[in-house]
Amino acid sequence: MIGRAPRWIPLVVGLLSIVWAVPIVGILALAFRPPQDVVLGWWQLDPLRFTLDAWVKVWNGTPLADAFWVTMQAAGISTALTMILTPMAAYAFHYLKFPLRRSLLIVIINAFVLPPQAIIIPLFLLWRDVGLLDNLWSVIIPYVGMSFAWSIFLVKNFLEDFPREMIEAARVDGCGPLSTFFYVVLPNLVTPISTVAILQFLWCWNSLLLPVIFLRTNIPLPQLLTRLSGTYESNFDQRAVAAIVTTAVPLLVFLIFQRQFTAGSLNRSGAKE
Amino acid sequence: MKLTTLFSTAALAGLLSGTPVLAQDITGEVTLLTWKTASDLTTLHKVEAAFAAKHPGVTFKEVIASFTGDPRGGLRTVLLGGEPIDLIDNTWPAFRAELANAGLIRPIDDLWAKENFDARLDPSWKALGQTDGTTYGVQYIYGDRSSWYYLNKTLEKAGVTPPATWDDFLGQIPKFRAVDVTPVSLPAKAWAHGEWFETLLLRVGGVELASKLARHEIPWTDPQVRETLLKFKQAIDAGAFADANTVLGIEWDNAAEQVLKAGTAGYVHIGMWVSQYSADTFGITPGKDFGLTQFPALGLGHDDTSTVDATEYLAGASGKNPAAVDAFLTFLTTAEAANIFAADGYIVPSKEADTSLYNPIVKAANAAVSGKKLSFVFGDQLPGDLVDEYRVQLQKFIQDPSEANVDVVLAAIEAKAAESY
Amino acid sequence: MTQSAARVVSANVDGAESREPTGSRRKPVAGGWDRAEIVAALILLTPALVLFAVAVLYPLADTIRLSFFDVKGLAAPKYAGLGNYFKLFADPTFRNTIAVTLLFTLTTTALTVGIGWVLAVLCALAPRETLFFRFVFFTAFGISDAVAGYMWITFFRPDQAGTLNAFLNAIGLGQLQHSWLGDPATAIWAIIATATWSGVGLPLLICFASAQSISKSIIEAAHVDGARPLSIMRHIIMPLSLPGVRVALFINLLGSLRAFDVIYVLTQGGPVRSTETLGFFMFKESFAQFKLGYGAAATVVLLIAVLIISVPAIAQRTAGAK
Repeated sequence: MIGRAPRWIPLVVGLLSIVWAVPIVGILALAFRPPQDVVLGWWQLDPLRFTLDAWVKVWNGTPLADAFWVTMQAAGISTALTMILTPMAAYAFHYLKFPLRRSLLIVIINAFVLPPQAIIIPLFLLWRDVGLLDNLWSVIIPYVGMSFAWSIFLVKNFLEDFPREMIEAARVDGCGPLSTFFYVVLPNLVTPISTVAILQFLWCWNSLLLPVIFLRTNIPLPQLLTRLSGTYESNFDQRAVAAIVTTAVPLLVFLIFQRQFTAGSLNRSGAKE
Repeated sequence: MKLTTLFSTAALAGLLSGTPVLAQDITGEVTLLTWKTASDLTTLHKVEAAFAAKHPGVTFKEVIASFTGDPRGGLRTVLLGGEPIDLIDNTWPAFRAELANAGLIRPIDDLWAKENFDARLDPSWKALGQTDGTTYGVQYIYGDRSSWYYLNKTLEKAGVTPPATWDDFLGQIPKFRAVDVTPVSLPAKAWAHGEWFETLLLRVGGVELASKLARHEIPWTDPQVRETLLKFKQAIDAGAFADANTVLGIEWDNAAEQVLKAGTAGYVHIGMWVSQYSADTFGITPGKDFGLTQFPALGLGHDDTSTVDATEYLAGASGKNPAAVDAFLTFLTTAEAANIFAADGYIVPSKEADTSLYNPIVKAANAAVSGKKLSFVFGDQLPGDLVDEYRVQLQKFIQDPSEANVDVVLAAIEAKAAESY
Repeated sequence: MTQSAARVVSANVDGAESREPTGSRRKPVAGGWDRAEIVAALILLTPALVLFAVAVLYPLADTIRLSFFDVKGLAAPKYAGLGNYFKLFADPTFRNTIAVTLLFTLTTTALTVGIGWVLAVLCALAPRETLFFRFVFFTAFGISDAVAGYMWITFFRPDQAGTLNAFLNAIGLGQLQHSWLGDPATAIWAIIATATWSGVGLPLLICFASAQSISKSIIEAAHVDGARPLSIMRHIIMPLSLPGVRVALFINLLGSLRAFDVIYVLTQGGPVRSTETLGFFMFKESFAQFKLGYGAAATVVLLIAVLIISVPAIAQRTAGAK
């Protein structure tokens, strides 16, 4: 943003991130070292051997490709839907007047405190009755439905700094509420929508509770990888590999979408400078 | 009310399915509900394959219920969904009672008699599969839960051998301490501290005491229960365990590490799975590097008792293929099935099992359990919320093992028990 | 500063009440509603509301219904009226969870959002240089709790096999070694530390995004005016990233209330229930014990508590339909 960033900033942030990285380093250690060596701690330096055994085991022992694709679909579709529907709803709540506006908003926002376990059994019985069990939509619908609790709040908060003049200018120009949304507001919501996308993708990708109950034949990656550990065998080397494999994609999504943040959105607003 | 109509339909379906079958009728799909994963599942597949080889046309459809934590949550959710289940994997007597009361499983006393299971299974195994006198389950693997593990090297270092009596054990404590070893590693973080209480309970009052308490026919404030805690207190006071904070911070796997890898503790009172776990994770050999011993004798007349855990298959009342289920249950008791489990490191109740397949640890456990009066793991016999309270109160006892606190703890458990049954 | 930029800044920083629907320029029809707006609202909201109703409202209604029944495992549910609620308030375990939850939630939220916000403000001035570090924090956030939990258990183990104790020993502070998860006094702090560790990525992400959407021209103008980075952070970036902070606070606060993963993996509510929060209690009752009615009652109580706190806050922010 400024010409030259102060050098102490990356230093401070970097130091803190070292502390934060310790458990991550631990997971990497567990994934690449033989289990016998790390029983008394992944930081034990003697002996220091590396192996790809766990990776081979996970690759051979589990149908990764299929699970990968299933997870991609579930998270991808859910994210796309949330990205589309949330700005629409946030705009409506923020700028339009209609009956029950405040009550609806209160209900939606407070629904976030509802634990996912409360959703499971009623939805399970519902899906069973309509035949949606073992169907990817049985998880996509809850993923999207539950996302509104936080996503609408997030986008709406961004709207609070949106210059009023632009909306009024659009109205003066004869734009109805819908056109105002599409042409004036939406283009400037890239940052909050990207944020929502990153979070929604991550949470849907990692989600375990719902797929484990609703899906049987085509299961997503996290669910597949819980099968790596038996009741009394920890297989923590394979679980560490699983963690790395599972987390890789949402991290990629983060890298891609966070680039959308750097655009100062008000710059493109067309506000008179 | 959705749930009641669901269950009465299931019960009705169960009643209608009791028709006689011929050998060639054993075909079709068998739906099996379990929570097993990894190597447990691999063994199950072997058994299924062996059964399918004898009855071509039988296919198994596995429903693997997974959940955070206690697998019963996942099992219950699947059952709540109402799909017809032929076989239910189970290791909790309390859960079996729950299923029986809900009409989800059918009795197998007739099958037991018809196929003469008694020839292959001791009566104690039949008793372990019963709820209120009716038999529902066939035990196919079990574990000795009254045993201690130790590393040979550590005992040598302390100059002791596995204690036969309680007094022997108390006498060993200073010897361990002298070489900087905690005599016993007690994993009190979640549930494993219960093992000590439960085996002591058996040693103090026998299987009858345990079952009466499990059914709440006697209160927790009963003098014999109190005596059990006082025995536990004796071990604590003698310095058998580490301090309360340490003990409350470790789980069974940490305890296993301390005893069987790091050598910082002498014994751990834990179940059979530690044998396989240790062999895999620590790379040690059963018998050569580590051994098994039974909980020492108290000399109160009940030292011929043992706690076991056992896993059984139950016949689902809503199952679509009762003939195959009956045949499978029978198959489980035979040598062929038993030996598949034995070869994979399990102990089996079947008398037809080839015990030469057992490694030294398993052999020792099998020998120790045979002929003893058996009690199922006490904690698994208790109703849900009582178990939780019982474990927390035991933790409080460990924090403060004074006699006054013993009474407080027992009264608290009793208060919870009063509303749990 | 240019005039319009100044207007935007002043409009933002004087803390004026949130922008409210101005309504259209046309005269409102009787009753105060504008038909065009209502139609637009219908079109924009219906898809989201339908999904929300199916995925959340329906289970919520079912949860409320269940809370009036006594459900023990798979046995047939028995109608219990308000019985569950009476039991809940008489239950010392439940009362215990309230105290634990308050401590856990407030502390974790304060720490997580505090650290995340400060980091975000710092990173806002050096986005490219700090990308890798932001990535690290996000990774911590993105690793599923089950695996991270295993790392954290190892971190807090009482003996030498515990990372923290081994580290303390290595730097000569061996006497500080402790059974972090086994001592009721320290267990909750270990949980708070773990939750903070995994949670910081979220406020960092949101506040950073919020800070990034501040108009470049304001910052450049301040820079041209000779403002130092610290001053820019304090007077421009921090106040203008407040919307992000609000969201982060909300997600963290409400998320901590229902959180149970961290606690399940590390302590399972122990030792002696010192880390049993409301979220864990609800999970335990509903799924471990399968007392669905009782767990549902706890959930309803939590919802009502949250409503009581949030309704005035939200109503105030969305007040004044003109």
